[in-house]
Amino acid sequence: MQKIDKVILGDNQFFGINHMSQEKAQQLGERFRELKDIIAVYDYAVENGINAIMLNSNDRAKEICDYFRANKTRYSDISWYPSLPYPHKYANLVAEKGIVSAVNEVIFSDNSTKGLLSLVAKGSSALLGQDAVKIMQMLVDIEIKAFHDLNIKVIFLQNIITDLLLGLKAKIFFKEYADYIRKKYNVLPGFLTMNLPHLVKHFTEWGIEEVVICSSINKIGYLMSPDIKTYEETLKNIDKNKYQIMAMSVLASGAIPPEDAIQYITGQKVNSIVFGASSEKNIKETTQLINSYFN
Amino acid sequence: MGQIKLGFIGLGRMGITHLSILNSNPNVNITSACDPSIIINIFFKKYFDSINLYHDHTELIDKEKPDAIIVSTPPNLHYQVVEEAIKNNINIFAEKPFTLSYKESSILANLAEEKGIINQAGYVNRFNDMFLKTKELIVNNVIGKLTGFKSEMFSNTISKEDTVEGWRGNEELGGGCLNEMASHAVDLVNYIIGVPDMVSKSVLSKILSKSVDDVVSSTFIYKNGISGTLYVNWCDPAYRKPSNKLEISGTEGQLWVDQHGIKIFLKRAYEMYNLKEGLNKIYITDVFNNVPFYVRGNEFTSQLYHFIKCLNGGDVKKVCTFRDAAETQKVLNMIREDSKKGKFYDAKN
Repeated sequence: MQKIDKVILGDNQFFGINHMSQEKAQQLGERFRELKDIIAVYDYAVENGINAIMLNSNDRAKEICDYFRANKTRYSDISWYPSLPYPHKYANLVAEKGIVSAVNEVIFSDNSTKGLLSLVAKGSSALLGQDAVKIMQMLVDIEIKAFHDLNIKVIFLQNIITDLLLGLKAKIFFKEYADYIRKKYNVLPGFLTMNLPHLVKHFTEWGIEEVVICSSINKIGYLMSPDIKTYEETLKNIDKNKYQIMAMSVLASGAIPPEDAIQYITGQKVNSIVFGASSEKNIKETTQLINSYFN
Repeated sequence: MGQIKLGFIGLGRMGITHLSILNSNPNVNITSACDPSIIINIFFKKYFDSINLYHDHTELIDKEKPDAIIVSTPPNLHYQVVEEAIKNNINIFAEKPFTLSYKESSILANLAEEKGIINQAGYVNRFNDMFLKTKELIVNNVIGKLTGFKSEMFSNTISKEDTVEGWRGNEELGGGCLNEMASHAVDLVNYIIGVPDMVSKSVLSKILSKSVDDVVSSTFIYKNGISGTLYVNWCDPAYRKPSNKLEISGTEGQLWVDQHGIKIFLKRAYEMYNLKEGLNKIYITDVFNNVPFYVRGNEFTSQLYHFIKCLNGGDVKKVCTFRDAAETQKVLNMIREDSKKGKFYDAKN
């Protein structure tokens, strides 16, 4: 399995996401209203040796990707780790229209899939229920479009979808997703989850291998279900040839001092750390800490 | 009870979320479901064939005789489904808003209590770690005797003009901001401060919707002298996801809380909680409790696992019963009635 990058810059800081404070989240969202302010942060990251970017397929992904495509020579070493879908787009659509109409709207608003789904338009919308795997593939294609012609390493399924499907024990969707990402995009399939031990247990049973799993892993056990002890057990016994582990929320939204946080995480069997930061100072310090503890 | 035989009435957004969460509970065996959508039926038949599908709740109840059901239908259907289940001695978790009238909600609460079934409604904030902590602080008089409050909720649920389809855009079926969104903010007030004796100056207004309310505002009045305001807007583009905010004033301090944190200002230190004089902050990372399986937030799992724990008996304090939900329904109805008699003064005059 291709090795994932050791240090990855995440994107929560740009889009008004902060697990600990809504006020802080909104302030950040405000600060990054303009693309140039986002790019400045990516430039700090690149200057500090980070060559990997995780980015959700939200409504700002396109302008960010457009910029990187337009400046390809300058950023030729960057690997991309998109995650999809943008969950709130679907959550709001579903709230407004119901599940079926929401899926319909996303598919129909995309020009390239209109022809393909002419059947649905003709009234045979039962297809949505009958071939949900095909629908999933079409949604992947729509969501990943923004990232075309970038050097993608992993395509992640967002945790809200992963965990919903995991609860449903929907083996077929995990298998089909992983196969599709490998075959069509020739990159590693990835899964974000808040339930890593549960996911690993089921993936092992179902024979889903050679995938990347990204999960909150931190010293205080924040957003780690069922608990930190089960996480540590699972990580200790993980087969690294089958599963590469990427840790997120390592600082637990700032609740853990950086040094403690990095020291803890590098003692776990993880391959990679994704973190979000918006200042040059924080990016520099976190990267240096990771490099000093993490070999 | 051992393994609980569970049926799902309604497989929309909340129904599927509940199904995913409960399917992770080893004490639960999900055997049946019903939903009118043809697409949902085809989907479940094809991909989840261990679940028996029925045309309606009556057939499901008759044939499956489940120990408990999860009701996530549009709110206007809750009454008939819940009433029939109670009559069949089936334990029930029902989504919010519980019904569309105080009268119906009270009848169901009475019936459930008479039959002695386990009953719970889906006011999920009562299981949020931050609001649980707030309740604890208020009950222990950390900010002294309460004097007033402000309960607010914002979301970007409706972002385009009049695009709401289905029941959510129809007040009679249970749609609209008061039923859907403000019910959470009202329930939070009932839970933490108490049920108001009166509401006044209530306004239901529209921003983007054609046929339902988008903004709810009201003043809550209590006989013990507390008063507070409610403001809920589900067309607010500044919010990425629904956000509940509560500000509470007391004789000894002031408290601000949302789903992520508490700020608390105290006139004097409160040692039991390690709170100093002046401003204190409590973050979610200080008080969170992990859940066995996470889908949309700890509180969603907590509320359902609580329901299962109640079903398994033992000494469990019931949280968010039909009675609680009926009290919330009472206030929602008071607001709607009050909004109809409003006398307004036009700023232009």
